Amino acid sequence: MARVLVADDASFMRQMIREIVESEGFEVCGEASDGVEAVDEFKRLQPDVVTMDIVMPRKSGIDAVRGIMALDPSACVVMCSALGQETLVTEAIQAGAKDFIVKPFKPDAVIETLKKVLEKED
Amino acid sequence: MDMAKYRQVFIEESTEHLAEMSSALLGLEKNLADGEAIDLIFRMAHSIKGMAASLEYDSVTQVSHGLEDRMQEVRREGCVADPEELALLFRGLDRLESMVDVIRSTGEMPPPDPALAAVLTNCLDEPPSESTSPELAATASAQDAAKKKAQTPIQ
Repeated sequence: MARVLVADDASFMRQMIREIVESEGFEVCGEASDGVEAVDEFKRLQPDVVTMDIVMPRKSGIDAVRGIMALDPSACVVMCSALGQETLVTEAIQAGAKDFIVKPFKPDAVIETLKKVLEKED
Repeated sequence: MDMAKYRQVFIEESTEHLAEMSSALLGLEKNLADGEAIDLIFRMAHSIKGMAASLEYDSVTQVSHGLEDRMQEVRREGCVADPEELALLFRGLDRLESMVDVIRSTGEMPPPDPALAAVLTNCLDEPPSESTSPELAATASAQDAAKKKAQTPIQ
């Protein structure tokens, strides 16, 4: 069972992602509500995959990806973006993120993306 | 998914965000280049937009998106341009507060305000030049309402 760290400053979004991934049998091993916490929790929990919001306090999702990649260059991070954030998604991919999912979340698309990036890691 | 549960989370989280935005706007009134306040308002608008879109509250999505776009421009410029732009931001806040109130009391999507969303988004559009225009009267009223609300303790 893949272990997922969910990083988003909105409790609403964290709950929604949790519900989607748990419905597919993934385990949410932790949550983070800002970029600093995301890096700290990654270090502590060593999840299989991180879902990372882009706009967060203290440290942006993109800077958090850079922090995670510095800890583990093979880390698997999927960005959560909104329409209009294409440039930021590109920046995140360049920083090491593996893929992205778009808000509002479509459960099938979220699961498909997570499975895809996890398969690539295997 | 239990959308009623998410609607409740949306109401609670948006109400908190709007209170934070209100305080930040009052901070900007003292210092139009308050970077922390600018970042906070941008993030709060972005967050409300994401939640509203997930619940298909298109009218809320439009206004919060407009506010986010405007704040993105403010971030680029490093400051709010002038008191007129600040008044427009207060008006955006006021509209979002009233929209969340509608959802809280009816559970239904509030009526849209495409004119406000457009004014917020079209950053290059000049605001009305007459200080007595209806637009400015509305923004001034929103600003006053936000000030009053900021003086009321949050329950």
